Amino acid sequence: MAISVKKTMDSTYSVAQLKEFIAERLGARFVPQRFKIVTDTSDFFHVDYNDVCVLDGIPYLMLNYMREGRFGLDDEPKYWVRKAVDLLNGSRKIIKLVFHEEIEARIGDIVFKCVRSPGKEADILKLVKGHPNFMQGTAVLDKAGNIIRILENIRGKQLDDIVYRLNEDHEEYFFQHLPGLLKIFIGLVEAIKFLHDHGHKHGDIRRDHILHDRENKCYRWIDFDYDYIHMASMFGYDLFGLGNILIFLVGGGDLTIQQLTAEKAPALQNLAAEDMNIIFNNRVANIQKIYPYVPDALNYILLHFSNGANLYYENTEQLLEDFEDVQINA
Amino acid sequence: MSIDHTKCDITGMVERHIMVAVDTSDNARRAVLFVADFFGCYEGFQVTLLHIILEPEATFFRDNDERQKWLAEHREDSRKIMEEYKYILLDAGFQEGKVKIRIETMRAPSVADCILKEQEIMKCCTIVIGRRGISKKEEFIFGSTSNRIIHEARKCAVLVIE
Repeated sequence: MAISVKKTMDSTYSVAQLKEFIAERLGARFVPQRFKIVTDTSDFFHVDYNDVCVLDGIPYLMLNYMREGRFGLDDEPKYWVRKAVDLLNGSRKIIKLVFHEEIEARIGDIVFKCVRSPGKEADILKLVKGHPNFMQGTAVLDKAGNIIRILENIRGKQLDDIVYRLNEDHEEYFFQHLPGLLKIFIGLVEAIKFLHDHGHKHGDIRRDHILHDRENKCYRWIDFDYDYIHMASMFGYDLFGLGNILIFLVGGGDLTIQQLTAEKAPALQNLAAEDMNIIFNNRVANIQKIYPYVPDALNYILLHFSNGANLYYENTEQLLEDFEDVQINA
Repeated sequence: MSIDHTKCDITGMVERHIMVAVDTSDNARRAVLFVADFFGCYEGFQVTLLHIILEPEATFFRDNDERQKWLAEHREDSRKIMEEYKYILLDAGFQEGKVKIRIETMRAPSVADCILKEQEIMKCCTIVIGRRGISKKEEFIFGSTSNRIIHEARKCAVLVIE
């Protein structure tokens, strides 16, 4: 495997020493009475709360697991992704242990095999080191050779939560906030182009995989461990994800048939099958039909992701070129 | 005097050299059957059966053993099907020495890129490919090899078999 990750050193810390570190970093009341020192994380279910993982010579106090919400379902626990504290300097980390999961990904009625690839994420972390639009971190091997990703904790909201909080009249949202959001989005597309240009795909582009880094005032892509076998188009799935995010941003949320029906929106009568999102057929992609002030150049981009499209974007460059013609004037 | 149809023409393409880009699917078999039916009874044609095995990145696999197993399985499947396709062509009248098998394992953004690259190297005058008949949604996300070939092939004819 062409993965360059550091091999972890054996634990050289005594329990007493680690207790001292914990007291120093978190306070005496957080020192657990009993805990394990873990150097082989293969069985991540047995890495318990308050255990200490020693990775690349650094002791990490393992805390709660992370959760992830998808498709409106309740947040699902990700037992292999843990909050942690670096006991040498007290910094907060997210530690991703190895979970070789094979997933049947479903997009509409298309089913395809996806895997979680720690090696892919490790490679990308190395590539994007210092890039403001990607989560940052390093990858190390534990004692058993598992590729562990140690990520910087990003303090901030998801992009979609930010848009939901701007919940106001669409016209106001469109002219006041969308120009700024589109600027951010273009930067994020350029970041994906950077990945593609280096032969990588993100693999799981979703609006909740963009976090606003409050500290550094930038937006970062997270979670690039998904991988799948592409055939005719390596980047099509990433472009599909970008299209969904753009439609969400322009609409100021998802514009669904159900929602328009509930609101008895007059525009509903003008909508045809070709106006809908090519994959999610209940979401409107031809947003100009709902909000006529969406300029043609922007709507033209949206139509590439609609049922009526006969031409699709094959790469991010084509998408970025079309953005050059987009202007939003009140 | 006999004419050697395999000589290059002025564009640099090898005359009457047909590349049939195949995989292990039914539509690839249809493409082979088409070539057998249409060209098998004529002399002077040579055919290269090309199968591209698009290899995922090493990081797609848990370890090197899994990768090697994946490659071995795909190469074996390919070898078997290519022998079968070759037999179809020989049975239709192609001469033994005029049907070549080429199995290439590559890493690339798409199978179409690999086929086009091979066409350039082999300088075939015609590419024959089966159409998968994928849905619009699938084409949107995963792309269409035959569409890419139609649009991007240069200095050769393209036959897409439905």
